[in-house]
Amino acid sequence: MITVTINSKEIKLEKPITVLDAARQEGIRIPTLCYHELLEPYGGCRLCLVEVEKMATLQTACTLLTVDGMVVKTESDKIAKARRGMLEFLLINHALDCPYCDKAGECDLQDNVEKYGPAKGRFKETKRKIPESLEDSIIVRNMERCILCTRCVRMCNNVQGAFALSLINRGGHSHIQPFSGGTFDCEYCGNCISVCPVGSLMSRLHRHAYRPWQIESETETICPYCGVGCTVIVQARSQNITRVIPKFGTGLNNGLLCARGRFGYEFVGSKDRLKTPLIRKGGMLEPSTWEEAISLIAKKLSEIRDQHGGKAIGGIASSRCTNEDNYVFQKFMRIAIGTNTIDSIARMGYSGAQRLIENIFGQGSTANLINGLANSDTILCLGGDPTTINPVLGLQIRESRRNGGNILTIGYLKGFENFSPISLKPRIYSENTLLEGLIVELVKRKGLTGEKSAFEARIKDIKTSLEDVEKECGLSKTGLDNFIEILVNASAPSVILGPGLIQRADGSYSILLISALSYIMNARIYLLSERPNEQGLLDMGCEPDMLPGYRPVTLANFRKRYEGAWKARIPDEKGLTLFEMIEAAKEGSLKAMYVMGENPVFNLPNSKKIVSALKNLGFLVVQDIFLTETAQIANVVLPSLGWAEKDGTYTNLERRIQRVRRALSKDGMEDWRIVAEISKNMGVPMDYSSAEDILTEISNVSPLYKDITHAEIEKGDALWPYKGEPLRGGLEEISLKDIICHAPRISDGKFFISIEKPLFLSGTLSRKALALNRIYPEAVVRINPLTAQRLGLNSGDIVSITTEVGTLTLPLLYDILVDESTVMLTNNFEERGAFSLIDYKLDQITKAPGIEGWEVKIQKIMEKVGS
Amino acid sequence: METFLLKDIDNPNSANINFYINNQGGYQSLQKALAMSPAEVIDMVRKANLRGRGGVGFSAGMKWYFCSLNKEVSPKYLIANADEGEPGTFKDRAILEKRPHLLIEGMVIAGYSFGAEYGYIYLRGEYPKAKEIVNKAIQEAYHKGYLGDNILGKGIKFHITVHQGAGAYICGEASTLLESLEGRRGHPRIPYYRLANVGAWGKPTIVNNIETLSNVPLIIKIGPEEYTQIGPAKSPGPKLYSISGHVNKPGLYELPMGTSLRELIYKHAGGIRENRKLKAVIPGGISTPVLPPDKIDCAMDFDSMRNAGSWLGSGAVIVMDDTTCMVKILWRALKFFEHESCGKCVPCREGTGWMRNIVERIEDGKGTDDDIDLLMDIVDNIKDKAFCPLVDGAVTDVESIVTNFRSEFEEHIKNKVCRMVNA
Repeated sequence: MITVTINSKEIKLEKPITVLDAARQEGIRIPTLCYHELLEPYGGCRLCLVEVEKMATLQTACTLLTVDGMVVKTESDKIAKARRGMLEFLLINHALDCPYCDKAGECDLQDNVEKYGPAKGRFKETKRKIPESLEDSIIVRNMERCILCTRCVRMCNNVQGAFALSLINRGGHSHIQPFSGGTFDCEYCGNCISVCPVGSLMSRLHRHAYRPWQIESETETICPYCGVGCTVIVQARSQNITRVIPKFGTGLNNGLLCARGRFGYEFVGSKDRLKTPLIRKGGMLEPSTWEEAISLIAKKLSEIRDQHGGKAIGGIASSRCTNEDNYVFQKFMRIAIGTNTIDSIARMGYSGAQRLIENIFGQGSTANLINGLANSDTILCLGGDPTTINPVLGLQIRESRRNGGNILTIGYLKGFENFSPISLKPRIYSENTLLEGLIVELVKRKGLTGEKSAFEARIKDIKTSLEDVEKECGLSKTGLDNFIEILVNASAPSVILGPGLIQRADGSYSILLISALSYIMNARIYLLSERPNEQGLLDMGCEPDMLPGYRPVTLANFRKRYEGAWKARIPDEKGLTLFEMIEAAKEGSLKAMYVMGENPVFNLPNSKKIVSALKNLGFLVVQDIFLTETAQIANVVLPSLGWAEKDGTYTNLERRIQRVRRALSKDGMEDWRIVAEISKNMGVPMDYSSAEDILTEISNVSPLYKDITHAEIEKGDALWPYKGEPLRGGLEEISLKDIICHAPRISDGKFFISIEKPLFLSGTLSRKALALNRIYPEAVVRINPLTAQRLGLNSGDIVSITTEVGTLTLPLLYDILVDESTVMLTNNFEERGAFSLIDYKLDQITKAPGIEGWEVKIQKIMEKVGS
Repeated sequence: METFLLKDIDNPNSANINFYINNQGGYQSLQKALAMSPAEVIDMVRKANLRGRGGVGFSAGMKWYFCSLNKEVSPKYLIANADEGEPGTFKDRAILEKRPHLLIEGMVIAGYSFGAEYGYIYLRGEYPKAKEIVNKAIQEAYHKGYLGDNILGKGIKFHITVHQGAGAYICGEASTLLESLEGRRGHPRIPYYRLANVGAWGKPTIVNNIETLSNVPLIIKIGPEEYTQIGPAKSPGPKLYSISGHVNKPGLYELPMGTSLRELIYKHAGGIRENRKLKAVIPGGISTPVLPPDKIDCAMDFDSMRNAGSWLGSGAVIVMDDTTCMVKILWRALKFFEHESCGKCVPCREGTGWMRNIVERIEDGKGTDDDIDLLMDIVDNIKDKAFCPLVDGAVTDVESIVTNFRSEFEEHIKNKVCRMVNA
């Protein structure tokens, strides 16, 4: 126990902390500039000088550790003079352009000078002049305002791990500059902007658009982009978003954000937003009224239901809509339409993978805390780059490396290149062979515990030797040995599974192998999720075989409970999965579909096939915020309120239930309200007056969301099962024996598509966020330079990529990390999506599509301009 | 006096290992040291009161002792600080270029004493010739078995790597040197730990000056009793004095510690040029306070210099005669500190330039009556408030020059001209 006295207040401390931290704990204010709670102390601004008894000179509180018996004074004439002196030094070369600096009003320097600074300057010479840099399209850099606290550099290097910013030059000539020069070549997380205490690094998105005190509302909500669920603050003025910022100390992201979260909000105010319902009349979508649209939908759906039965109608729920929207949607499909045919984009991999893993380990086994990741000593990442799919989760993995952990990667994972990962890059489609080899070796080295005998029996069936792995995967023995050594010695391992390995025709086999590996190592499994509420929509029962809370619809006693609660009958047979719906639409047995907040034409593989299937429907309703590719072929399009315009909850990939709040008061209806209106018109009234009403019902019916209320969520960590019980048994048993490998054998000289998940774009929303498109303006194809050389192609050439499904013409870009037999494409650009090139083969267990493995031909169309 | 550090430096073969071994009895101290236990070596150096020649004057033996207490930690590092950047100093260069084996021998003994297996010579970027010579000497020493994994067949391991700095004065500061050595920007570290416990790459590390390490073979050779008889017992040993400025025989002199400034200037350096009057002396490099002529009878050792109101520093004596404008001297000193400030902390980064500006306008005849007070107030705002000792050098220069030569500043301001400018 340490006792220190600060300003005659005695403070007891468990362990030595800095004087600054001790003072702040007690609410004693010591001014600082270079200090930031997320960063290592720096001691550069010298503003936090304090007097310490028995020490001859003033000491910086941020770097001085407390020792027992220390007596500290934070206010005295001497200290006041020192502070005044430091602020005077800072101002002699500071631009003092507060009248037009966007930071004025929330500037740490301004605040500190106002409180502690000199009233008048004594510097007579001319100030240092450095022109403001507007070279970058997102971040404005003004070095005349910079106080060189290096918070941005420390954030970039030590927290974000992008290593993009640096101090350049020395002494009075020092300034901050990206390594890439004027423009930034970085992850655009903008976390440097958050920590800049002055107006040196600022977002260009809202440059000179307002002063901080003109903000009319600040709303704490959850980011609309990925499954991590970062807390963001939406600041608005005149019902427009002025900016989205994080808040230190709040949310699981604790003040960190990624490019999408910080700069991707412009879609909300996009001019392309749908304004009125549209009804197809004479082949054209014509603006209409809500009354007309809703009664038309109610009439058509009722007719089809009555004529062909509920089974003839399918619904697609939305991973971008709230739990409340999705709950109401599935309830509507089940009791008003009378079908269990309801599925979502989670079918692309997340739901199937989770189901299979839960079958092996029990419900909730993929629910692991994101912030616990940094404590893992070994993290195995495969199937996709966590730093682009779930960037803030990726930061935790980078943090684990700084804590001395190992990062193991299999495949294309760019985000850890600066973190000395231990990488294996097996030949494409030989990942399963590698995993098999690792499992056999780990069983040999670590043994099996006997805990899960059936699973162990399946594991013992695997016979691949390391020699096989070397040969088939093209890996070296030393590389493998090193990799295995780390796996064997891991004491707190985690496995991060991305969609890449799930979206294979034998994805279930990969999942089985990864589960086996995790089982032998006793590792936690994290499933990456690309959408903000992928987990939530599954929890809400937007699956053809599960009621809310993963209660199988086929089991009568569960069904009865819900029928009782909903006072209606629920069909007892399973519905169709997403791709079964497409098939059924194609062959005509599915007559109508209701798509809420999803864009299957773009987000599912083989757009041509999806379009022709959907066009074959008698009636297609699309409810969205944009006229998406799917909406364009709908019979009725309904505009809904989007993110930041409605209340509700999201459930993130670790099962944390978080509040999404309305930041803007826009006219229109939330998705759930539209669905409830239609339901009412179909004679099944749903009387909800608010999202909170719906959550109350959810918490009453779903065993996993028991007792979840807004008040409970606001208390902090509401992770399900909150007060309820997970379902240990009762899940559909999957025979592990049926899960087998059928990866294609690869012969040399062939090229295959692989899907890039870029950091800056993630699909329908990001396409409408102007800033993100400025960072990543056009679709490209990434090819290994060695491959390109063999084909006589150069970076910058325009090439055509042809498969049996279609052709895309794109500029080529070298990427040294791409596998030599792979062409890497994104699916983020209108008309340029990789999914338009590929067909799919469904995995028989997860029913997820195999979207990789499509052979392509590459042809040069045009030389690089200027070459 | 018989020289030790500069022995035979005029011989063209002085850097050659055979010359060192055959003509100078080289590497015998190493053999003697390896016959002793490491603790005995440390004890000997402690008893010899060998004090750090970089300027601080801390006991080298004590430093090694602290480091040797980290018994479980491996590896440990020994860094020879050859970032000789203090203006007026040119002593280490002579050792590096003329007596590299003396340094290598000292390093191996030091490494043996506290258990370091790896040594680095952090060499000033502006010493390309020294780099060549030292690297050649290291190769020779490896070849003869004085470096390597099994030194003299005794199973002792010691390796030396030369690391060249990029030309920053601040990298002579021990913690900054380590940052630079590790490949980062030269910024001083927060002194949470003694470097002897947590230094380079987080491992126990000793940073010693070249001259300090080069004294070690002598101590081993003659023993602490005899060593402490050279100069004052509390700071003994031979010392290199770099003398420059307005003297008749500027150059590098090896003299016993405690030789008086007067003896150094008038006896060894041949007095002031053209028999002019002495005006001021910078006794230990530009970061030590300037001494007026009435103080030059003090002995040049760590303790006596402190009593006289200055520091021994690196022993770089800069002599100025009565043709010197002290305002201009201060301007030049501040320009150096402004240029060499690393930019990490505010008072140094902004303060040095501001002070240079003020002194510049006084020198240019544009000073105002309150400029001296402003200058002294800035000094007060900087003093003891900066992160590392670099700016203290600037502060002491301003303080000592303005205190001792205030009238000269007032004259500049009053006459609006520097009378020395055309003198």
